[in-house]
Parts: sequence; structure tokens; C-alpha cells
Amino acid sequence: MSSSHKTGGTKALLRSHEFILFVVVVVEWIFFYFIGTSKNFSGHTVGFGTLDAQFDILRHSCEIGLLALVMTPIILTGGIDLSVGSVLGFAAIVFGKLWRDGHVPIPEAMLGALAVGACAGGLNAFLITWLRLPPLIVTLGTYSLFRGLAEAVTHGADTFTGFPDSFNFLGQERWLGMPAQLPVFVIVAIAVWLLVHRTTFGRSFRAIGYAPEGARYAGLPVERRIALVYVLAGVVAALAGIIYTARLGEAKADSGTGYELFAITAVVLGGTSIFGGSGSVHGTLLGVAAVAILKNGISLAHGPTEVADMLTGVLLILALTASIVPKILSKRPARVQTVPSTPQPSPTS
Amino acid sequence: MKKYFRELSVAGALGVLLIALAIFAPAFYQGQPLLSLLTATAPKLVVACGMALIIIGRQIDISVGSQFAVSGACGALLLGHGQPVAVALPAAMLAGALMGAFNGALIAGLGLPSIVVTLATMVSFREALRWKRQGELINIGAAQWFGLGQGHGQWTIIIVALAVLLAVGCAMRYLAAGRFIYAVGTDAEAARLAGINPRLVTFLNFVLIGALTGLAAMMAAVQSPLVDPNAGVGLELLVIAAVVVGGVSISGGRGNLFGVFVGLLLLSCISPALTYLGVEAYWEKAIQGTIILLAVVADGWRSRKNKN
Amino acid sequence: MKRILVLLLTAGLVLSGCGKSDTGSSADSSSAAPAASGAKKLTIGLLPKAKGNPYFVSVAKGAQKAADELGDTLIFDGPTNDDASKQNETVENWINSGVDVIAVAAEDKDSLSTPLRKAEAKGIKVVSFDADVLPDARSFFVNQATPQGIGYALMDKAAQLSGNTGEFAIITASLTAANQNEWRKYIEEDLAKNYPNMKEVDFRPGNDDKTTSQTVATELMSAHPNLKLIMAISSIAVPAAAEAVKQAGKIGTVNVIGLGLPNENKQYVHDGVTNCVILWNTGDLGYLTVQAADALVKGTLKPGDKTFKVGDKSYDIAGDKNDNILLGAPTVFDKSNIDQFDF
Repeated sequence: MSSSHKTGGTKALLRSHEFILFVVVVVEWIFFYFIGTSKNFSGHTVGFGTLDAQFDILRHSCEIGLLALVMTPIILTGGIDLSVGSVLGFAAIVFGKLWRDGHVPIPEAMLGALAVGACAGGLNAFLITWLRLPPLIVTLGTYSLFRGLAEAVTHGADTFTGFPDSFNFLGQERWLGMPAQLPVFVIVAIAVWLLVHRTTFGRSFRAIGYAPEGARYAGLPVERRIALVYVLAGVVAALAGIIYTARLGEAKADSGTGYELFAITAVVLGGTSIFGGSGSVHGTLLGVAAVAILKNGISLAHGPTEVADMLTGVLLILALTASIVPKILSKRPARVQTVPSTPQPSPTS
Repeated sequence: MKKYFRELSVAGALGVLLIALAIFAPAFYQGQPLLSLLTATAPKLVVACGMALIIIGRQIDISVGSQFAVSGACGALLLGHGQPVAVALPAAMLAGALMGAFNGALIAGLGLPSIVVTLATMVSFREALRWKRQGELINIGAAQWFGLGQGHGQWTIIIVALAVLLAVGCAMRYLAAGRFIYAVGTDAEAARLAGINPRLVTFLNFVLIGALTGLAAMMAAVQSPLVDPNAGVGLELLVIAAVVVGGVSISGGRGNLFGVFVGLLLLSCISPALTYLGVEAYWEKAIQGTIILLAVVADGWRSRKNKN
Repeated sequence: MKRILVLLLTAGLVLSGCGKSDTGSSADSSSAAPAASGAKKLTIGLLPKAKGNPYFVSVAKGAQKAADELGDTLIFDGPTNDDASKQNETVENWINSGVDVIAVAAEDKDSLSTPLRKAEAKGIKVVSFDADVLPDARSFFVNQATPQGIGYALMDKAAQLSGNTGEFAIITASLTAANQNEWRKYIEEDLAKNYPNMKEVDFRPGNDDKTTSQTVATELMSAHPNLKLIMAISSIAVPAAAEAVKQAGKIGTVNVIGLGLPNENKQYVHDGVTNCVILWNTGDLGYLTVQAADALVKGTLKPGDKTFKVGDKSYDIAGDKNDNILLGAPTVFDKSNIDQFDF
């Protein structure tokens, strides 16, 4: 489904999922520009079409974008990680606690949070690769566990706030004219893109997702690579937790609730197959853009949140259906797709 | 014995918990509150039966919570307008079946991945209901307990749930249709070659879980005179966790309803156990997650041992 | 080929940035419109904690009434369930879409203050209602009752019903709900100061779910056999707890009070299960909030005012910084008056 470098030519590009999605994003953007921009009483332009609004859309999607970016290689390998939102929250709490109660300076507290993220991802990695457990259920368990740890540390009620302005700057202010978290996001985006698309390491993800046994026979250290993507997910989720805390100026136990589903939506929208084996990072970025423009566009046009959420669901179904249409047209009967298998022989009962 | 090791260990864990409660918090075993707890858990058991079939068939359905809310609201509105139970209950099940059919059509018909389709419908169904109802409670007044009064109503609900469990369990074991689901879950292509229609089996599976969810929603709705359209949040996670803890493999093809039964009981007892034992409420999620992980680790350990 | 995609994407983003900057300062999009013409149609953004919560829906009804009378446009939007981050995003989008005034009920006091300060810096007026933000982030707080007032009212009523002695338990929303945690603080403060013979034996979340709240109430009653009273501080938990008491057959043994809507609790109050619910007229709260918001923009309400007049009613402005517009004392809805209200 992804634009493959094997089949060349402009025609393949135009028919690729990413290009169609790109067109959808552009059309979306133009649509919201027209319904969401107006002039206010004193003649100034307000709404979607302003630079401020565009920058805020970027700011609002930064943490989700990070999660979606790091979810892409995981899904490429045929796995999934439902715990990223909980890791975000747990890391945010650890960051807050280190700074406020541990009197650790901000930079070290950030490192502490990232380390915790790595450990969290490490737990997922261990269970999934060493014990060969299904990622869906492992991360369902850690989804509860990490959120539970965050609630246990704070007794649910405690929050961490009052961070120095130099820290809050990261989430709230402009740096060189653009939102301060944007360079961080761009760096991670480029890094993940390069990892997935330009390194042999990254290219193996798709091989592992497509045919794990074949990859193993081909000599790929499948378990090590899978472990790495989950640890990476933990670290990036912790980073997202830090940015989230800076943006809100506060760390709470329920930070990031629901973000994992949003991230999965963006990844799938972007054309990555949930079964692994095909997909792209730029597709994910377009997916994040598509959902962010939809949600914020409706909000800027003073439309109701419920409609935005409903339309996100509809958009996802349309995107999935659209990617199936070529298959149907080529008259091959659609096989029943089943839940992604783990990258190992199916466990004997 | 070895074949049912998993289900028996979960039953064992449940037994340990129940014994601990008997020793440290015998108040758990008072008649009326225990009955109320079982009555509240009964609807979840019905949904879990449906989810077991889905997961055995190697699919997943995370939209059940939203279906629960929508079909519950439909049934409750009918009851509130004076329609008899004989109309409202089938209507709720029909609403659930229709939503399930929608999922099924996309998943079985178009071959779309179930986790993503049900993610989309989970969001769409719930937000559509929220937009329509604006959170307003629905008053069903005299239709509470299906008009049977509290005592009979509670026992009826519990018995219905057990009946569903028995029916589904037996069907899976003894009916050809049940074996078809195991077959499709193990290897859809092989099943097709053997003459089974995997797409039809999958489609009907989703319709069935939708109908069961509608039934469960009504069972839950009549336990109070006011029905909340925001019900069922988090139901899918609880039910999936219960099914998995109970030994149903997420890779399909394995598991039975007894395991689901004990798995659900175990997970549903955590919160009350904390209250009765005087443990702070904020430990609940951590404990729940740990149980899920232990169950899955136990699975992995066993299959590693089996391989060596 | 992928490079082309990336290039196109970048171009798209750059173009979007260039957007409409040619019509001048997109930065100060709504520098305070000169309040010259009173006939100006204002856009008021009303941000609840959760859109689907019947409490806020009833507030919005009163708000819409005021908006209609004043000829203003009311936007009632926000997260569909408690979510501090979505509240921030909604406020930021409203700032960018040029609303005139924003009225908020904060899920989280500290984090919501951040974008509100930005709003004020851009000339957008800010008021808060129901749940305040930090004082420097808004001009006025339309206060139906202080958290201290609410906490003390609940504790005092509980004590009164229990004869100043005995055990009680609290059912809250979620453990992270900020309002509820603050009320708990004051309940416990009143308890410690004035009622040494009473004990709070448990504090459990109902998670704003009716079934969960009902189950929790049942467990509380049987885990604590000497329980005299259940205090439900999440509005959906009040009828849920009452139903639990009814089903446990403990009407009269265990009292129920809480912060709930009259309509949801009428039958239980009449059945004697729930003694009373403490609340305020939510429609009036919404109405007053929109009136204050409108007056703030038009200049008839200024910081430093001692009273605020709406029609023939006059509201006191109090608080340490004289910035709380007081709706009045909380109302106790019991058998004698609950039928007079429809919300």
C-alpha cells in the first residue's frame, strides 16, 4: 500500500496512499480556511487562516505526533503499543516529583523522566521479545500498570506545578518565531524517518512485520530490533510527557489519557498496515495533520467537539475503505483479516 | 488436567482472593451486598461471552462500550415512553445487532482490520449518542427490574447471565458453528479450504456480540430507575482483559468460556476487595495491570517450556 | 519520489504560514474592539468541564437565555469528558478565532490559567464560573459558592443528620478530579475543627459512572457496618448512592446527601432515601455568567465595582480581591422545595 521504490513512475506516486492523503489534507485545509476565517469587528483577520492558529494547531498536535511517529516502526514490525499514553503520564509525574520533591534541577529531572520512559519501554520489550508474548495484551496490561503507578505515586490527587518559566517556555512560547516545541518535534520526525526509511536497520522493520520467520532465517536479529522499537517508544513517550507538562504548566496522573488511540488513528490513516509490513513515516505525519486540521478546524469554526470526533471516526473508515478499493477492483476476493500475529510461531495451546 | 491448567490457575487465584476476604474482611459475604455485586457483574459477563467468541475468531472489538451505551439508551427510551419490556428488550438487542452488523460488514465484507474499524466505530457511536442526548438521564420508572421487583429482578439477571454463559459455552464445544469459530481463528485459509465460509462466520460473530451487548445493556439499565447515556465507558478494556486473563489466546483458536467466567470474576473483585480490605483506591489500576501481565507471562512461560 | 512528497508537504506548510499575513497583523487578531457601539454582537465562548455533563448542560441553558436577551452569540463547547488538555486547546482556538470574551469552568486551575493569560494579553476578556482559575488569569469569578462554603455546608449537614457522631463515607468522581479534591479538603477541615466525634471512614471514586458509583456505595455500606451517611460529591453519584441504599434496604439507617441536580434526585428525596441535595440554581449561574461577560466587554462592569446589577437584581462582589461575583448561598433542596425546580 505504501509508495514503494520498486515500482517507479509518476502514476504509482499519484495512486499511492500517501499522495491521496496529501490531497485530502490540502483539501481539508482549504475547506477550513474558508469556513473558519473571517474578519472581526475591527477589520483584523481571525480564525483558521491566521499564523497564530496554524502554530497552535502544531502545538496541539506535538505530543500526539511524537507518539504516532514512534508508533509507526512498532506497527511496521507487526506489533502495537497501547501503553504510550500511560507512559507519557507516568513520565510526566516522575519528572514533576523529581523536580518538586527530589529537588532535582530541571535538566536532570528531564533525563530522569526519559530514563523512566526507557525502562517502561524496556518492560514492554522484555515481555514481548524474550517471553514472546502478544504485544496487544502486554501493552494492555502495561497501559493499566503505568497509569496505575502514576495514580499510586500521586494518590490520584497530587499535581506538580509551578515550574520555572524557562521550562514552561518549551511548551508555551515562541522560539525564533515558531512554537518552541516544534524544533524538538522536527528533529524526532527526521530521526525516525531516517531510521525507518534510510537505514538497513529500519528497512528490516518492514521485513519483520511482513514475514517474521523469513526475517529470522535471513539472519536478522529480530528480537533485538523489536526490543529496540519498544524502548524507543518509551523514551519518546516520556519526551512527549515533558512537552505536555510544559504546555499545560502542570503534571497530573491522568496526563495523556486516550492519546494512544489517537496515535494509532494517525498511523493507520497514514497508510501503514496494522498487520505490519508496509507503511511510511511521512504517511503518519500526514495522518497526524489530517486529524489535527479536522479537530482544530472545527473548533476554530465554532463547531461542536462531538462532530469533530465523529468525523474522525468516519475519516478513518473512509481511509481504510479507500485503500481496499484497488484490491476489490482487481477482483481478488478479500480474505478475512485477523488480529496481527506475534512475530513468532503461533503459540501452541 | 494439563489442558486446562490456565483456567484452573485463574480459578485458583480467585479462590485465594476469596479466602483472603473471608479471613480479613468477612463483611464481603453478606447476602444482599454480595447479590448486588453479582447483579452488577452479570451484564459484563454477557458481553464477555461475546468477546470470547470474537477473540477466539482472531478478531477484536473495542466498540462494545459504545454499543452498550447506544443500545441501552434505545431500550431505555422505549421503556420510558411506556413500551413494554417485550418491545424494548428486543429493540435494544436489534440496535446492538445492527451496530455489530456494520462492524461485521466492514471487517468480513471488505477485509478491513478489526482493531481499526472498531476503534473508529467506538468513537463515532459514542460521540453521536453524546451529541443527541447531551448527557440527560433517561427515566424508566416502573420498568425497573423489568417490572419484577428487586428480589426477583436481581436473581433473574444473574440467571440470565449464567444461562448465556452456559449456552455459549456449550455451543462452542458441541455445535459445529462453535468449531467453525475455532477453525477460522486458528487458520482462516485452511478453514475456507475445508468448506467453512470464514467471512460469514466472522460477520455473524460481530452481529452476535452486538446483540449480546444490547441484552447486557438492558440488564444493566433496569437496575436503576435512571439510565445514564454515558454508561459503558471502559467496558471493552475490562471485558478484553477478563477474556485474556481467562486463557483465551489473542492469536485466536484457543480458549473456553469457563476461563472467561473466572477471569471476569477475578478482575471484577479487585475494586470491592480493596474497599473491604481497607486499601486505598488508587492502587486499583496498578493491581489490574499486574494481574493482566501475570496472566500473560504465565502463558508465555508455559509455551517457552513446551518448546524446550 | 518520496523526496517530492516531502517537498510538497513542506511547501504546503510554508504556504499555510504565509496564510493571510498580507492583510496585516495576524498576531493581534482581536485587539480590543473599541466598545463604542453597544449594538455590537459579541461572541462569548462558554467552556464547561465536560460538555455531556447534565450539570453544565443546565448551566448552558441559562447562559443561552442571557445571550438571546442580549443579542450575543454563545458558543458552548469543550471536551466531552473531563480533559484539562482539551480545555486548553479549545481556549487557544477561541483566541485565534477572535471571540470577545471567554467564560470558563476549570477542570484544572493551574493549567487552564496559561492560555487564559494569553487571551487577556490579546484583549479578550475572561471570566470564570463554577470552578475558578488563578486570579491573574481572569477579571471576575462568578461564584456560586466557595469551595470552603460547599465543603462546610456538606459537612455541617452531614453532622446535623448524624447527631454529630458516627461514621460517614465520601464517593467522589475520579481520583484526579480537582474540584472534588478541593471540596474534600474543606470537608475534612470542618470535620477536624468541629466534629471530633465523627469519622470519615472511606473515600472512593465512582468515576462519574452511575453503575460504578452504585456498586461502590453498596460496598461502602457493607464494608463499614456502622456507616451512618454517604456523601456523594459527584453529581451522578447522588442518585446512584440513593439507589444503592434503597436496594440494600437501609433507608433510614444510612442517609444520603450530596451535590446533585434536583431533577435526578426528586424521587429519592420524596422517598426519604436522600435527605437533601445541596446545589444552586445552575440556570441562574449560566445567566449571570453571560451577563457579566457581556457587561465586562461593554464596560458596564469594571474591576473595583462593588455590585453588579442585572435588570432589577443586584449581586454583591466580594472576595479578598473584590473579584467574586456572588450568586448567593448554596440552596438546600429537600422535600419542602425540590419540586419547584426543573433542572
